[in-house]
Parts: sequence; C-alpha cells; structure tokens
Amino acid sequence: MTRALTGGVFGTTDSTDDFAELRQLADDIGARSFEDRIGHRGLPDDFDATAWRNLQDAGLTRLTSDPESGGGPGELAVILRALARHAVTVPLAETDALAGWLAARAGLEVPADGPLTIAVGDAGASEATGIPYAGAAGTVVIALRDGPALQVALTQPTSITNGHNLGGEPRDTIPVSVTEFVTVDGAAEELLRRGAWVRCVQALGALDAAVEFSVAHTREREQFGRPLSAFQAVQHTLASMAGEVERARAATELAVAAVTDYGFASAQADYAVTVAKVVLGRVVPTVVTAAHQLHGAIGVTIEHRLWLATMRARSWVDEFGDTATHARKLGRMALAGARDGDPWDFVVGGY
Amino acid sequence: MSGDFAVLCANEPELATLRASVRTFLSTDRDEFGWQPTVDAWLSSWDEGFSARLADAGFVGLTIPREYGGRGLSHLHRYVVTEELLAAGAPVAAHWIADRQVAPGLLAYGSEEQRQRLLPRIAAGQYFSSIGMSEPQAGSDLAASAAKATRTDGGWLLSGTKVWTSGAHLAHQVVVLARTSPVDPQRRHAGFSQFIVPTDSPGTTISPIVMMSGEHHFNEVTFDEVLVSDDNLLGEIGAGWHQVTAELSFERSGPERILSTAPLLTALVRLLAYQDDVDDHTAAAVGDLLARVISLRQLSISVARALSAGQSPANEAALVKDLGTRFEQDSVDLAADLFSYVAEAPGRDGVAALLDIARLHSPLFTLRGGTNEVLRGVVARGMGLR
Repeated sequence: MTRALTGGVFGTTDSTDDFAELRQLADDIGARSFEDRIGHRGLPDDFDATAWRNLQDAGLTRLTSDPESGGGPGELAVILRALARHAVTVPLAETDALAGWLAARAGLEVPADGPLTIAVGDAGASEATGIPYAGAAGTVVIALRDGPALQVALTQPTSITNGHNLGGEPRDTIPVSVTEFVTVDGAAEELLRRGAWVRCVQALGALDAAVEFSVAHTREREQFGRPLSAFQAVQHTLASMAGEVERARAATELAVAAVTDYGFASAQADYAVTVAKVVLGRVVPTVVTAAHQLHGAIGVTIEHRLWLATMRARSWVDEFGDTATHARKLGRMALAGARDGDPWDFVVGGY
Repeated sequence: MSGDFAVLCANEPELATLRASVRTFLSTDRDEFGWQPTVDAWLSSWDEGFSARLADAGFVGLTIPREYGGRGLSHLHRYVVTEELLAAGAPVAAHWIADRQVAPGLLAYGSEEQRQRLLPRIAAGQYFSSIGMSEPQAGSDLAASAAKATRTDGGWLLSGTKVWTSGAHLAHQVVVLARTSPVDPQRRHAGFSQFIVPTDSPGTTISPIVMMSGEHHFNEVTFDEVLVSDDNLLGEIGAGWHQVTAELSFERSGPERILSTAPLLTALVRLLAYQDDVDDHTAAAVGDLLARVISLRQLSISVARALSAGQSPANEAALVKDLGTRFEQDSVDLAADLFSYVAEAPGRDGVAALLDIARLHSPLFTLRGGTNEVLRGVVARGMGLR
C-alpha cells in the first residue's frame, strides 16, 4: 500500500510510492514559497498569491471537490502536509475540502479558479469570526449550524476585519448579511470531521518541520565547546520528539485511509479522525515545548522560522473541535461499544 | 483487494479470519480450563498445558516453515495471534521465548540438524527456552559480558553467570551468549558466540531471583565448566553479537511492548461501560487512553509491515519500544485514576487485583530487552546525532 504521509526524520523513499512525484512537486512549491518569504513574515502573514498560482497551474487546488481532477483525499493529504511543512500561507484545505465540497453539496456554484473559504457559525448569527483567509478568498461559503443540518449561502464580503491565529495565518471576521440559505441536511457533522481531518494532516506537516528545525539547530549551535546535539540529554529529547511525531503520523495515516476507503461520512472516518485529532492534540504540545526548549530564546522571535511550525500546529489542533472535545467523544464511543462488545475490538478498528 | 484501512488495522479478510479463530479458541479454552486473564502474562503466566493446546489448535510456530512442523505463515499472521493472546491475558509464558526469539534465531543461523531437532517441538508448544544474555556486571552494557567458552575435545567448556534468565528453572534449554575470544578494546562487540545449553547439563546451577511481588520468574544461572557439544553451537563462532542484535526489530516493535497491561485496561473499560452517567472528565480520560493505544498499535503494525516487506526499520522499532513501554507504565496510573471512579460492581475486585500486579510489574516494562535510555540512544544515532 502507499502511504500519503511518508516523510519526517526517518522517512524512507520507496520506489513503489505512487505519491512520490506529487510529494516532490508540492515540496518544490512549498520550498520556493518559504524562500521567497524569508524576512517578510508578519502578523498576519499575508496570503501567498504566488504559491497559490503555482498550485493552481499544477492543477492541485480542487483535487477532492472537482470530480474531473482525478485526485482524492490521499493526494490532498500529500499536498497539505507538504505545504504545512513549508508554512505556505494559502487556504488550500478550506478551498478544496471544506468550501468547495459544501458549495457542491448545496448546489451552489463557486468560481472554478481562485481561493475559497468557509465561515462556520450558528444559525441566526449576524457575524462570523475566525474565518480563514476571508480577505484572500473571492467567495466565502457561509455554513450556519442548525442542529444536524447546515444553512449554506455564498457571499463576497465587503467589510472584513483582519485577524490571525497564533501562527500568523489570516483568521478574519465578517458580517453575515445574507438572508437566502440552502439547507443541507446532515452536513454539520461531516463539515466538522473534514475540518478536523485537514487540520490533523497540516499539524503533522508542521511537526515534521519542528523536528527538522530542532535537529538542524542542535547540530549547528555550539555551547561548552561542542554542538548541543552531542549532549545525551539533548539527544534523548530529540528522540522522544521524533517518536511522538511518528505516533502522530501513524494515527493520521489511518484517518487518511479511512477517508480514502469509505468517505468522510463513514463510521470508519468518524472513528479514525476522532482518534487522530486526540493524538495530534496531545502530541503537538509536547513537541512544541521540546522544540522551543532545544532552540533556546532565539526560537520565540518573529525573525526565526520555528514559530511558523510550532504556533500553526498549536492553532490547528484547537480548530474544528478542541482536543478535550474529541477525547470525550472517543471515550463515549468506546464506552457505548463496550456495553455489548469487547473494548479490545475498539482498539483493533472495530469501532 | 481490501482497502488500506483494513490493512492498517491488520484486519484484511485473511487476518480477520485468523483473528476470529484465535478468539474462538481462547474463549472456549478459558471456559473449559478456567485460567484467569492477567497482566504481563507473557512474563509471568506459565501454563504448559495451555501452550500445548494452543499449539494443537495451530497458534504456535506460525512463522516456522511447514517442513519443521510450523504453519509457514507471515510475520503479520503471528502479529495478529500475538496481540489477541496478550489482550486476552492468556497464560503464554511457557512457549513465549522459544516461539518469539529462539525459532527465528534457529531459522536464521541454526544448522539443519538443530532445526530438525528443535523446531518441531517448539511448534508443538512443548519445548521451552530461556535466554542468557545479561550478567551481574553487564546490564545495559551487554558487551561487558564475561561468560566464556573455551575449546575442548568435541565441543566447548562454558563458564560464567547469567542473570534475569526468565523461566530457566522450568525451561529445557538456555541460549547463552558467551565470549569465544578475548576482549579486543577496539572492537568490543567482536568475539561472541551463541550456545544452546540444555538446563540439565552437568555444572549448571539455576537459582531463583525473587521479585518484590514474591513471584519467581527470573533466575541466576551459573555455568561451571559446562561441556557444550559442537552441535549446540548456534550460528558462527564470533558472530554472536550480530546474531543477537540482527532480529531485535521484531522483538522491540511487537505487541508485547504496548499491551502488557491490556487485560487491566479492557476490564476497566468494561466496568465503566456499565456505570450510570459517566461524567465528561472520565469519558475524556477513557478517550485519551484509547487514542494512545490505538496510535501505538498503528505505529507497531506499520513497523511489522515494513519488516515483512524486507525493510529494516530499526529506528522505528526502537521508537515503538520506547513509546510503548512508557505507555504501559503510564497506563497503570491512568487506570488507577479511572478505577477510583468505579462504584461497587461485579468484577471490581478482579480489576483491583490486576491493578496491584500491574504496579509490581510496571518498573520492568521500561527495562527488559534493553532500557529505554539505550533505545533513545539507538534512535538518536538513527537521526544522525551520534
């Protein structure tokens, strides 16, 4: 089988890997974006129009929402991880997996080019907050929760209040002035699951970067006459970090497989995405803490690249349901299953 | 062709069928013979009758080729059976080391005569082995081992002392790592060889090392000029270090590095499932616990798949053992917190007893088979740090 999320410090290149070419392409786009932005990162960190154009030219911006694209969740995961690893500031997850999907479900036509985004809120809201990239997106898909249904509409906001998440990604506020909505039954849960899924994949990419940066820094930085990486305490911290990231990769890989095999609406996806969101939610804080500890004070400065990995990962694990919410949900799923089944079945994927 | 999700869960049709059949065997056997599930059963639950019945049913020696009495199946088949046995807390200790370590060693390095002599009995669940590696002055630093074998007519004279030799007092043989040439300070790992030593060999003394729980699983085994015949040399002279380390990835990444406490955890979840109104905090604690087991199992299976495909994921295997055994330790305290939430209920006393055993065994989880500090050193080397 082919693994979408292959990579990290132990990543082995496998000649039978169907995703190798795509991963290389996404990594190239990401690396170029990262280079271009050195010295220009700020709060907010503005939408990277050049990177977006490169993605669009390569046909990578509608992989799951356009049936003609020939792509699927596995391909999207490859790209999302690569872009997150290089801190590329583009709303690809929002455009393809969230806004593009929901607009199609609602039968609403969105532009085939250019970034889209999604504004999630509760029915009756007059304002939507925390919207990714509202300023960059030509069209915002509004999704208001109404029980298990979503009330969906399109808007081109005229008044945008700019903000950002901990990692500088645009998170904006817009007024909700639309009055005509399309009701999409039963879509609220799937939207949340899709959001959790993309954030897990992205957080994994950011964690891979955090470990790479930490290895590089501790090899270069010398104290007491030798590189930090020569100290056993530092080696053990790095080994622990890498281990936690591999555990997160394994959990996220299962979530990618569940979605690829059974779709976002399936019970398998519900199980695997919930597991992954809990795992990432616990791994991210430990890896972020360790990465900053290893970098010393330089790592908390805006000139340094570390925060683009660590703070984006921190923000992403809290979006689309925080860790405690997913842990409660997973615990209740397991307890319900254990009433008439074996708790061990829950562990082996029998949800 | 089955999807990736089933493959990642080690549940594609063939493995799912095997999983179901071992479960049926376990529940029938338990009903008939009344063994109680326990934690850390692979170290402590020695039941020769069970091992023989398990083998009769075809669940021992899965990776041993058919010509030697095994099933000739893949490492993943063995993985599925192993994790089901551990989750059920079945009394597997008698045949465990022979099946897990000695059989692969014989297949890789043994002579044809040794394979024909030993493998069919191992596959029958009737031949038990222990491993003599650590010594009083050689723990984490295994290369400091001082036991030595010197050439004599028709064989070798073995002298030295091995410790922590699990099950040696009940086993048929010990596989001993001994020096066959003097220490070369420049190449400390050179000059070791492996010997198969029957436990009834004259000059062999087996004394118990009793655990703080009062249990006797470990031994000190002293060899005083024990004659080991040439046909009991395992592999090549001087290749002992390579032979004992080459197959470590299987052992390090296996399910017993995650699931030593699984019977405690599943019993606890079952009790909680029947509590009325489990609060949010408790539900979240259950979710956190299970997310850790599930993710570790995913990592462990990914290593098993890579090993089966002929790759050598040595770093990932060391990671599984480091993360998995730390989880096993943490899980005892997490279980204790959850247990405090359980009201009087049938089965509560049984879980309390498992919790006590787990507390007594827990310090060993991160020590046996190489300490976690050594493993993190292995990982650091794999990351190019040393």
